[in-house]
Amino acid sequence: MFTEKVDLKDFEKQDPEYQDLLRRVLSIQADCEIGGPNLYVKDILPNAPTKLDQLIVARTAAEEMDHYRKIAKLAGDIGVDVSFVLSRPNKDRYVEAFRGEIKTWEDFAVFGFLIDRVGRFQLEEFIGCTYLPLARVVEDPDMIREEEGHIDFGVNASAEWAAKGGETKERIQKAVNYWYVKGLDMFGNSKSYRSERYMYWGLKRRTNAEARALYKEEIDGLLKKMDLEIPDPNKGRLYT
Amino acid sequence: MEAAPNTDALDQQFKEFIQALKKAVGTGIPHLKDDPKVVDQAIADCKEILDVVMEGNVKEWIS
Repeated sequence: MFTEKVDLKDFEKQDPEYQDLLRRVLSIQADCEIGGPNLYVKDILPNAPTKLDQLIVARTAAEEMDHYRKIAKLAGDIGVDVSFVLSRPNKDRYVEAFRGEIKTWEDFAVFGFLIDRVGRFQLEEFIGCTYLPLARVVEDPDMIREEEGHIDFGVNASAEWAAKGGETKERIQKAVNYWYVKGLDMFGNSKSYRSERYMYWGLKRRTNAEARALYKEEIDGLLKKMDLEIPDPNKGRLYT
Repeated sequence: MEAAPNTDALDQQFKEFIQALKKAVGTGIPHLKDDPKVVDQAIADCKEILDVVMEGNVKEWIS
């Protein structure tokens, strides 16, 4: 197990596998950070239910852009140009959850509730990691606090719609059914060799399976509180 | 370690986008109940900035 702490000036001295894994994880993280706004800005900003909601959508996008900026700077400093993800079509995103479009308010709400929560889990992986510039970015209170704000907004909006019952609740349930498996899939394959190597090099704290199990426990509890059905966790999954 | 080209320029450009966006949001929210014109302008400003960012024309931004 690798336990040294690596700063930018020592990056090039590291094992090639360490360098490759760090380049890879920063590229994927950058793609995901900007992938969110690319899903919802076009349709949700002009069509959110209220003007306050419209401004919240814009603020959420600004915060995700700032997360992208911070990760892109880390990647750029080690020679990885991730600017290409800014003009990449959604269908080409690294992670399947970011390959479509969000066109309804209930999807936007559930996206915050379930998918931004995966984002928080992924950021938490880097707390205390061996690459100090990355650890510093995620340990700064802003990034995870902002992600939690997006999650809370999503939870509250989803709960509010679920509590209305009838067709409104059905629409939230439909959105949950869609995003639930995508969220579970975002953790990757449980038998991933790469996941073990990330842990070996101290770049992540948990295996894909461990993080997914914790995530599932958290969201299942919230769905029960909202009196929503927990979707079949195996239906439509790409990774198990 | 040599940084990727335009790393600092892109970082600076994004800081400006984010600052402008947060300023627009901050201008609109306090006037939700008393000045719909200010709010509408703030939303229009947000849309204008986000349209540029979502287009992702990096070469144009940092040329």
